[in-house]
Amino acid sequence: MKPTEKLLQIKHLKQYFNEGKANEVRAVDDVSFDIYKGETLGLVGESGCGKSTTGRTIIRLYDATDGEVLYDGISVHSKKSKKELKDLNRKMQMIFQDPYASLNPRMKVMDIIAEGIDIHGLAKNDKERKKRVYDLLETVGLNKEHANRYPHEFSGGQRQRIGIARALAVEPEFIIADEPISALDVSIQAQVVNLLKELQEEKGLTYLFIAHDLSMVKYISDRIGVMYFGKLVELAPAEDLYTHAMHPYTQSLLSAIPFPDPNYERTRVRKIYDPKVHNYQPDEEVKMHEVRPNHFVYCSEKELEALKAEHL
Amino acid sequence: MEKILEVKDLELSFHTFAGEVKAIRGVDFDLKKGETLAIVGESGSGKSVTTKAIMRLLPENNTEYKNGQILFDGKDILKLSEKEMQKIRGKDISMIFQDPMTSLNPTMTVGKQIMEPILKHQNVSKAEAKKKAIELLQLVGMPKPELRIKQYPHQFSGGQRQRIVIAIALACNPHILIADEPTTALDVTIQAQILELMKSLQKKINTSIIFITHDLGVVANVADRVAVMYGGKIVEIGNVDEIFYNPQHPYTWGLLSSMPSLDAKDEKLYAIPGTPPDLLSPPKGDAFALRSEYAMQIDLEEAPPFFKVSDTHYAATWLLHPDAPTVEPPAIIIERMKRFPGSRYYEAENGGNHQ
Amino acid sequence: MTQQYDKLSPDAFKPVKVNNKEAEQIAKPSLNFWQDAWLRLRKNKAAVVSIFVLFLLVIMAFVGTHLTSHGVDEQELSRANLPPKISWLAPIGIADGHAKVGGKDVDLYAQKNVKENYWFGTDGLGRDMFTRVWKGTQISLLIAVVAALIDVVIGVAYGGISAYYGGRVDDIMQRIVEILYGIPNLVIVILMIMVMEPGITAIIIAIALTGWIGMSRIVRGQVLKFKNQEFILAARTLGASNIRIIFKHLLPNILAIIVINTMFTVPTAIFFEAFLSFIGLGLQAPNASLGTLINDGYKNIQFQPYILAAPAVVLSILMIAFNLLGDGLRDAFDPKMKD
Repeated sequence: MKPTEKLLQIKHLKQYFNEGKANEVRAVDDVSFDIYKGETLGLVGESGCGKSTTGRTIIRLYDATDGEVLYDGISVHSKKSKKELKDLNRKMQMIFQDPYASLNPRMKVMDIIAEGIDIHGLAKNDKERKKRVYDLLETVGLNKEHANRYPHEFSGGQRQRIGIARALAVEPEFIIADEPISALDVSIQAQVVNLLKELQEEKGLTYLFIAHDLSMVKYISDRIGVMYFGKLVELAPAEDLYTHAMHPYTQSLLSAIPFPDPNYERTRVRKIYDPKVHNYQPDEEVKMHEVRPNHFVYCSEKELEALKAEHL
Repeated sequence: MEKILEVKDLELSFHTFAGEVKAIRGVDFDLKKGETLAIVGESGSGKSVTTKAIMRLLPENNTEYKNGQILFDGKDILKLSEKEMQKIRGKDISMIFQDPMTSLNPTMTVGKQIMEPILKHQNVSKAEAKKKAIELLQLVGMPKPELRIKQYPHQFSGGQRQRIVIAIALACNPHILIADEPTTALDVTIQAQILELMKSLQKKINTSIIFITHDLGVVANVADRVAVMYGGKIVEIGNVDEIFYNPQHPYTWGLLSSMPSLDAKDEKLYAIPGTPPDLLSPPKGDAFALRSEYAMQIDLEEAPPFFKVSDTHYAATWLLHPDAPTVEPPAIIIERMKRFPGSRYYEAENGGNHQ
Repeated sequence: MTQQYDKLSPDAFKPVKVNNKEAEQIAKPSLNFWQDAWLRLRKNKAAVVSIFVLFLLVIMAFVGTHLTSHGVDEQELSRANLPPKISWLAPIGIADGHAKVGGKDVDLYAQKNVKENYWFGTDGLGRDMFTRVWKGTQISLLIAVVAALIDVVIGVAYGGISAYYGGRVDDIMQRIVEILYGIPNLVIVILMIMVMEPGITAIIIAIALTGWIGMSRIVRGQVLKFKNQEFILAARTLGASNIRIIFKHLLPNILAIIVINTMFTVPTAIFFEAFLSFIGLGLQAPNASLGTLINDGYKNIQFQPYILAAPAVVLSILMIAFNLLGDGLRDAFDPKMKD
C-alpha cells in the first residue's frame, strides 16, 4: 500500500497557553505535517514536548492559537454549523491514555459505548442500539455479557478495548491514539496494538499514534515524527528514522531505549543531546528540510549541507 | 556468594471488603551480596507486595502473613517488632518508590530530607550530617550540591528528584536497596541516566538491589538475576542470560515475544490472550494455564513445583517434567535460544548442533 | 542435586485446549456504585443506628404531636409547671411527678389534682411539653431540610456553572462569592429578619442566603477535577452537548459528594436555626422550634430543668445522628480514604 492521498494537513499549527503572559507556554510551536489516508503516523517525544497537545488541538479539544488543520480539505478550526461539527466528530475520534480515567465510572459499558450512537442518532431503536454495542464488543474481543457491567470491574487492557469500541461506534475514518498503551502491562500492550492493526486493515483507518515508547511506535507506524519542546524536529518513514536518525535529539532518544536483550544492553552507548550543539545564529533560518526522500529534519542550511553529505 | 536476604515460602493475604485476596502464594528466593535481582511481572502479580512485605510496609490491620520467613541477617523480619523494624528501615534496607513527585516531602528542604536518616541511624553531629548530605548529592551527580541542599523539591525536575530519592535511600549505606519501578514515571532519556547512576553507585558501595519493573528492556540493562512473577508466585528465576536467552516457562515466552523486535516489522505481535487471574479465587493448578497454549491436563489440577534447569535457573512448569512432551516455543524465543550455549536450539557460530 | 519426580500418568501431559474467551470472564456479580456503597454502609454500625434513630425521630416529629390529646399551644394554667410523669417509670422514682417545692418533695400532680400524665411535663403556661417538643422537631427539621435543599440547588448550580465555563465567568463568580463570604453572616441574617416578617420563611431564607457558598465551593472543586478527565474529553470528541456532559457525566460523578455534604448541612442548619431562635431572632411565640423551646427552658433551668432537657436531648441526638450518617456515607462512597 502506497499512501498518497492527504487526509489531514497540519499547517503551521501553534498552541500557546497563557499567551502574552509571563508564564506563556509554547506547547506546540509552528508544527506542520500531513497525514496520508490509511497510514499510521507515530508522534514521539518526551513528556511536555507537546505531542499530546498537538493531538488534542487537531481534534478541536483546544482552539488553536494559530495555524490551520485541514481535514479532507475542510478547516477544522473555522466556525461551523452544528451539523458540520457533528460530521467532523464522526470522522475523527480519539483513544485516550488512562484506561481508568477515560471511562465514566457511573455508566454501564453498554451506555459508554453507545454514547456516540446516541449523540448521532445512529440506531433507530433500542434493539438496534444493543446489537451495535454487542457487535462492537465482539470486534474488540469482549462479549455481550460485559455490556451490563461497570468500568471498575474490568482490567486495564479490557478498559482500553472498551475505549476503542466507543471510538469505533461512530465509524470514524481517523483515530488519534493518545498514548493508548503506556499505562498497560507488556503482555496487554501487544493485545491492544494487534487490535489497532487489525482494525486498520479491516476498516481502512488512519491513525495518529502518540507515544513515548519508541519500540512499539516503530512497530505500528508507517512514518514517525519526533517532537522536542513544541517543535517537530524530524519526520521520516519508520524504518529510515531508525537506520538514519539525523537530528541529534532523535539520536539521543533512540540511544536511550533499553532493549530486552542483555548482550545488546551491555554494549549500548547512550548519546546525550545538548541543544547548544546547533549554535544557531540569529540570522539563520531554521526549518524542516528534506534530506533524504520523505525524510525531513529541522535544521539550518549549514546543517543541511553536512547532513546531505553524510546521509546521501 | 554470600546470601544477604532469604525469602522462604512466603504466603500472605489481604482481607478486603470483597474477601481474601491471596496476593502472595508461596514465594522463594534469595538475594546475594552485591547483585541486582530484578523482579518482573504485570500489575497484580505480587512483585510490589513482596518487597513491601520485606520492608514490613503493608497495612497491619488487613494483611495476614500466612506462612514463610524473610531472613535478613539471620533474623526473621516478619517476627520483629515495629521498633526493631524502624532500625532496619533506611539503615540496612531502604527503598525507592515509583513516583519522585510524591516520595519527597514538599515542605522540607532537600538537605534536611537527606540528613534525616543519617541523624536517625548514625551517631553524628548536624554539621557532619550536612557534610555527608552534600557528598551524597555529589555522588548522585547533582551539580552545585552546597547550594541545592537548601532548596525545596519543587525546584527540581523529575529526574533530579529521583536522584535525590536515591541519595536519601543510600544515606546510610544500606545492605539492600529496593527499587520499586524507579524509572517508570520518567522519560526514556532520564530513565537511561538513572539506570546508569544506579549501576555505577552499586559498583562503588556494593549494595544488593532488588529492582521491580515491568519493562523487560530495563531488566536486560540492570539485572544480574531475574525472577518472573505471575499470579502471586515466582514462575521462573535465573541469571539474566538464562531468562532472556533460554526461557522455559510459557509465561516468560509470552512476555518476551510480546515486545516487538527492532527488525521484525510486518509479523503480528504475539499477545498473551486473556487477563491475569483474580487472586480472590486463584485457579487450582498453574495460574497461567488458562492463558497458555501449552496448557496440559495436569496444569489444571496441580500447581507445578520448581524444576531445575541449571544450578542457577529454575522454572515452575510441568513442561520440564521428564515425562512431559517436548514442545516448540514461539519462533522469536527459538531465535533467542539459538544464541545460548546449553539450550537445545543452540547454534554455534559455525552452524551448530541444531536438534 | 538431582530432583526426584513422582511418576505421573501420561494422561497428565495431554495438551488441553483452553478457551481463551473464558479468561475474559468476570466472575464477580455486577454491582453499581450505589449498590456497592450500600453494602459498605451496612457494615458501618454507627451509620446504621443513625439511620434508625433519624427515621424514628422523623416519624415522631409527625406522629408525636398527635399522640396526646393536647394541642401545641393549648394553655391551661391549672396544670402549669408539672414535672414529667410516666406511669411505668414512676415506681423506680424517675419521672414520678414529684418535685422539690420549697425544699420539700411533693407530688405536684396530686397537689394540683391532675389525673392525666404528662410524659415530658408542662411549661409555665400549662402546655404539654411532649407535643411541643415534637412540634418543635418538626419545624426544625422542616427549616433545615428546606434550607439544605435550597443550598444544594443554588450551590450546585453556582459552583457547577462557575467551574464548567471557567475563565472569566469563573473569575467574576468567585469574586462575588468572596465578597459574600466576607460579610459576617450573622449581620446578613439580622438585617434579613429586620426587613422581613419573622417566621419560618424568613429563617429559611436567612440560612440559605449564605449557606450555599460552602456547597458551591465543593461542587466547583469537583467539577474542576472532573471536567478535564479523559472520559469528559471523550464525550466532547464524540460531539456531546454541554447539557449532556453536565447531566450524564458530571452530575452522576459528583452526586456522592453532594449527598455527603447535604448530610452535614442539615444538622448545621438545625443548629443555626436553634441558635437564631435562642438569641431571639428566630421563630416568635407561640410557634415552637427546638431553639425556642430551649430558649424557654433555660430561663427555668434551676427549678424545672426538664423543660430544657427534652428539646436539648432531641437536638443533640439529631445532630449526632446526622453527623454519624454523613461520616458513614463518606466512607462508603470513598473507601480509598479509609483503607
